[in-house]
Amino acid sequence: MRKIIKSCGITVVNKMDVASYRFDVVVVGAGPAGSSAAYTLAKRGFKVLLVERGRTPGAKNMFGGRVYVSPLKEIYPDFENKAPIHRWVTRERVSLVDGDNMTTLEYEARDSKSFTTYLTQLSGWMAKQAEEAGALLLNEVTVDRLYIEDDFVKGIVVGEEVLKTDVVIDAEGINRLVLERSGIVPKLRPSQVALGIKEVIKLSAEEINTNFGLEGNEGLAWILMGDVTKGVPGGAFIYTNRDSVSLGLVVYLKDAIYKVDRHISNYIEELRLHPLLNKYIREGRIMEYSSHLIPEDIGSIMPSKPYYNGLLIAGDAGGFLLNLGYTYRGVDFAAYSGYLAAKAVEYGHDNGGYSEENLSVYKKYLEESFILKQLKKFKDVHSLMKKERLFELYPSLANHIARELFHIDYESPKILEAIKRAKEGKVGWFTLLRDLYEVSKKL
Amino acid sequence: MNTKVVRKKLRIEDILNNNVWDVDYEAHIIVDTSKCAKCEYKPCVRLCPAECYTMVDDKVLFSYEGCLECGTCRIVCPEEAIKWRYPTSGRGIHFRFS
Repeated sequence: MRKIIKSCGITVVNKMDVASYRFDVVVVGAGPAGSSAAYTLAKRGFKVLLVERGRTPGAKNMFGGRVYVSPLKEIYPDFENKAPIHRWVTRERVSLVDGDNMTTLEYEARDSKSFTTYLTQLSGWMAKQAEEAGALLLNEVTVDRLYIEDDFVKGIVVGEEVLKTDVVIDAEGINRLVLERSGIVPKLRPSQVALGIKEVIKLSAEEINTNFGLEGNEGLAWILMGDVTKGVPGGAFIYTNRDSVSLGLVVYLKDAIYKVDRHISNYIEELRLHPLLNKYIREGRIMEYSSHLIPEDIGSIMPSKPYYNGLLIAGDAGGFLLNLGYTYRGVDFAAYSGYLAAKAVEYGHDNGGYSEENLSVYKKYLEESFILKQLKKFKDVHSLMKKERLFELYPSLANHIARELFHIDYESPKILEAIKRAKEGKVGWFTLLRDLYEVSKKL
Repeated sequence: MNTKVVRKKLRIEDILNNNVWDVDYEAHIIVDTSKCAKCEYKPCVRLCPAECYTMVDDKVLFSYEGCLECGTCRIVCPEEAIKWRYPTSGRGIHFRFS
């Protein structure tokens, strides 16, 4: 412990008797899940150590670009006025792309339930809330594994050092090397995750407002499916930040292994240069390029028990992310799972310790909250992602129908006629209706 | 439509140039390249977003410096040839706008 702290150059802790100092809780990872857990516990009087492997919280974080606000408002008072919010999403756009054709569904409202930001900034802010509530944040500490004694997690191991504590909240993120090395979860498989890559493109706020038809701090969330991934199951996204645009690509890793036939950066560059998209961002220059794995097959990623003797698992490490294809919810799920993990720690504290039996209350909290209710409700969505027709055929079909209806020389077709012509030789009525039924049942 | 803007794809090196790293002294990726010969698809070469893996004369070469720490290579490698951990002491990629 002394060495860990010394190696971080933290002087404030050195004043304490470090060797004998014992934290009630150690939280691994200062992302949305870890920081909300640390904040909640510190506020309730627990001695919390929050360890982060980045130079600052957020330095290793990456996401698409949008956060749903309600769960965060429940955790942080006055969140809307204090958090680093870039733009409120007032416009939702879902587009099906086929070559140089695009069919779009757009929804616009005056009010909003979600905002755009940089996760790097939001994580920094959330970690600061935890610090201000009394948690100790240690940056630049990469945890190797859990310290387990008699089947009970009793601390963390960093290099040669063991830091003992009463209970650990593991919020280390999707790669969850700590859990894997500790024998708690198996190594991730390609079928369980998607790869997200993102270019953040610098534009002025005025350029963004002009290009996208937005005003003030209004924002756009734009999901694209179809040709954008060149036949690899997945999709693309665009989010407007205050003075930049996040342009990203998501591919299912299992399919990407066989279907991505050139270096993956070509795919996102072609997206940036796509004639239907480039006109929105053409003045921009790339300011950052990032990538991250995204939990996809949640049912298989989620440990059967997100708790253990002396351990709780929160955020991506626990698979708490909802992907519906047209929207991703990672940050609010992560933050809220961290919040519930904190409440489970409090329950353990009040009920005689952090045994698996006591900490199982975490699962109950998750089940009672929107997290597991939503993940259960949409448990079959992942199986839709195996349907290649959804990524290629149907976006193409939608554009053909639109073309039949809108590209008129002399004769306008009836709608059914347009559909018939568009699907000619591509898909039968039976398959079409069966897929439609399946999608509407699962999604 | 009146002004034709010449746009071209950027090379991955040029895209990566916008990022900030504090490169670790020690490699956090170790590859047993003897296993790569029998690997048919070599997915790491195409899927590592930072192109840390490249083919030179039928051999897979790797560098750890530009790693974005997403973990993709470790998972897609069918030969389990990649030993991958996070860099220590705050080193590695430092995202600012992601």
